[in-house]
Amino acid sequence: MEQTIFYILAAVAVIATILAIGEKHPVHAILYLVTSLFSMAVIFYLLAAPLVAAFEVILYAGAIMVLFLFVIMMLDLGHPEQGLSPHWREWLPALLLSAVSIASLAAVIVSRHAASPFSAPPGLAIREVARRLFQEHGLAVELISLQLLFALVGALYLGKQPKKGNSK
Amino acid sequence: MIVPLEHILILAGLLFFLGMGGLLAWRANLIMMLVCIEVMLNAVMLVFVGGSARWGNADGQLFAIFIMALTSSEVSLALAMVVYLHRRKRTVDTDVFSEMKG
Amino acid sequence: MKLYLALILLLPLLGGLFNALLGRMLPRRLGEAIACGVIWGAFVCAVLVLLQFTGPTKIEYGSWLAAFDLQAPIAIYLDQLSLGLTLMITFVCGLIHLYSVGYMREEPDFARYFALLNIFVFAMLVLVLAGNLPLLYLGWEGVGFCSYALIGFWYREEKNATAGRKAFIVTRVGDTAFGIAIVWMFQISGSVSITQLNAMGSLIPAGIVTALGILLLIGAAGKSAQLPLSVWLPDAMAGPTPVSAQIHAATMVTAGVYLLARMFPLIGGSEAVRAAIALTGGVTAFYAAASACRQRDLKRILAYSTISQIGYMVLGVGVGALTAATFHLLTHAFFKALLFLAAGCVITALHHQQDIFRMGGLKERLPAVYWPFLAGALCLAGFPLTGGFFSKDAILGAVFERGGPLYAGLFALGLLTALLTAFYTFRMLLVVFHGEENLPHPHPDPPREGEGIHSALPSVMTVTLWPLALLGLLGGILNLPSYLGVHGLLDGFLGDMPGLMRPEPLSHGTEMILQLVAATVSLAGLGLARSRYAGSRRAAVLAAEEAGSKLSDFLLNGWRLDDLYRLLFIRPFERIARLCWKGVDEAGIDGALDGLARLTARLGRLPAAWSSGRVATSLFGLAGGVCVLLAYVAWLITG
Repeated sequence: MEQTIFYILAAVAVIATILAIGEKHPVHAILYLVTSLFSMAVIFYLLAAPLVAAFEVILYAGAIMVLFLFVIMMLDLGHPEQGLSPHWREWLPALLLSAVSIASLAAVIVSRHAASPFSAPPGLAIREVARRLFQEHGLAVELISLQLLFALVGALYLGKQPKKGNSK
Repeated sequence: MIVPLEHILILAGLLFFLGMGGLLAWRANLIMMLVCIEVMLNAVMLVFVGGSARWGNADGQLFAIFIMALTSSEVSLALAMVVYLHRRKRTVDTDVFSEMKG
Repeated sequence: MKLYLALILLLPLLGGLFNALLGRMLPRRLGEAIACGVIWGAFVCAVLVLLQFTGPTKIEYGSWLAAFDLQAPIAIYLDQLSLGLTLMITFVCGLIHLYSVGYMREEPDFARYFALLNIFVFAMLVLVLAGNLPLLYLGWEGVGFCSYALIGFWYREEKNATAGRKAFIVTRVGDTAFGIAIVWMFQISGSVSITQLNAMGSLIPAGIVTALGILLLIGAAGKSAQLPLSVWLPDAMAGPTPVSAQIHAATMVTAGVYLLARMFPLIGGSEAVRAAIALTGGVTAFYAAASACRQRDLKRILAYSTISQIGYMVLGVGVGALTAATFHLLTHAFFKALLFLAAGCVITALHHQQDIFRMGGLKERLPAVYWPFLAGALCLAGFPLTGGFFSKDAILGAVFERGGPLYAGLFALGLLTALLTAFYTFRMLLVVFHGEENLPHPHPDPPREGEGIHSALPSVMTVTLWPLALLGLLGGILNLPSYLGVHGLLDGFLGDMPGLMRPEPLSHGTEMILQLVAATVSLAGLGLARSRYAGSRRAAVLAAEEAGSKLSDFLLNGWRLDDLYRLLFIRPFERIARLCWKGVDEAGIDGALDGLARLTARLGRLPAAWSSGRVATSLFGLAGGVCVLLAYVAWLITG
């Protein structure tokens, strides 16, 4: 049952991603991506990571994608007829590189782990995860928080208007 | 573990290289390039979470969370830059920004 | 005697060094006095040496070049020939130095002038007195250098500097031959001493002697302006006139004759060499005399006549009449220096006008110059009973005495040359000093009262002419023909010289007939010149000559020898140089290097295209790298 759901969700994620990157209209692309992210969140949940799944929905689908939408609308980029979408000549080398890479990766994965057996996953409680995070990776948490602060300052600086009267 | 790790890795690889292909193709639109980067980062998160599930280790999940924090700061800076660049040249086409030419 | 000889050499050297180093800082009078004083001091020493002279001596002062077999000490070989020349050189150069004081009185750079003049005298004396060939070569090159520096003395004018270079390069051709001859002689005999080499003359194979003789002849031809290396001397007149008198008439140009006479015991053994020398001299004498007949420049006439007279001397050496050749060398030095100095007076008086057709009627205006000039002209033309008459006749007599078709032809050529010589000499004299004044005044304002054109001449310039005139006119006393019942002074003096081949003396009758013929020829030339350039036809003839014709152009340019050289040597050289410059250097070497640089730049542009500054290009590189890396890993694992 869970396996079937996983494969369905995987298919949804891949198709939604393909649609997202192939879409000419940026707003539509973002919406396709939100779909893909939701299915990813469920996959995370299936893989016994409910915390990550929750963050995925809240942060990715909720915050980041909204930020994208906001910027697209602010810069008024929702016009695919402006010719911003890539030509097939630009797709060709990109897809070629991707295909070769995927093929190579798949070959490596299949040849090395074809017979890896299932092992019963031990349940990971959120308490356990939180303990590991704050006990053993406290420094990393502090660094991440500093990084977020810097990003805030940088974004404020970049977004500042050069002159007062020059409003967008 | 509901599915073999290889399947998760292949799904992650598929997503990652789809993102990469989009990144290479969408040179005319900086926003779409950022979207594709999100896709790639997502695929990486999937690998971490898959590994965490496979070996029952919480560190994989922690790194997925770190990546998410990192992504949010990256996106906020990147979008601020997009706004800034768009203000300078009225475009988001990356080929226009070639001042780093050697 | 050793001391006196050393002083002869050292005094001019010291004078030259003094003027070169300190001359600028000291008052002009002191520099001039030292320059003249050292030469006269050398003359006094030479006279003292003459009084003590008993026979040929060798004196060694010290070691100069010594390596293995090569021994070239600073040695002097004094015999009648070198002593006579030393006396002549110091005396004539002394007079010319005095004259220069007057001639160069407005020249600010007098220190350089007198330094070079003194060093020239030193080098010339080294040349004459040297006991071995390397030392002689030192003097030989020294006079060449001083000649070059003095021809181009007024080097700020391109023409003068070019003339100096031309003289240097043309004489270099001869010097090279001479240098080869020295090395070859050393290689054959292991010695460079002149006396030893001369003593070995009979031991060396005839073919080698001939080759050596030809090489020495080429060397002498370069220095003495004989055909075919004669082209530099007319141009050398660009230098100051006293320099022309000292270097290019009296002393340096006769060095070739001296060299041939000095080495005659060695090279005279070859009949071919003697014939070549005689032929060179005879043909050169005629060539230059013919050229002189149509020159317009006063100094160039004298230059061509110098070439011609040296041709006589070489002819004399060629027939073995060393006494006659030396005799002519001495008298020629006197009267040619006299003519040059007088010409210098004329040129100075006329504000550096050298064209004889712009002169005329100077007899009344410059009597102090006219009479010495007339004396010099009489000597040059071989007027009976002057010094030039006797010396030239001695050479012609020696040629006649040799007999045979070659020498008979040369004798006829010599007589013809004598006729031409008399003609051009009196043409020059008559055009310059007689007739009416033909002077388009260069200054629009007439000369002020009491300041005639010759009032500018300092007396030192005219006074120095007289001793030379006397010596030229009375030079015959040095070697009167034996039919007068006196034994020739030079004959007796030079006759004792070792290795000197004495030609059989002519019978008195033949000699008298020859002298009568020579006198007739000389007078005929004089008459011819007088009929053209004096009296009623003068104006018409002058106008015709000024208009010029093909023949006179040919003679004016010295038989177009310069053009021949330009065609034969200079043009091909320029063409080769151009080929090396344009074809090899610019197209070949530069082209290859430029091409290499362009290729590198073009190659560099290929990877440079990847740093376009665009994000997409960098991303493609990154993705391509990832792709290749993954493919490689897959190939490693699956393969």
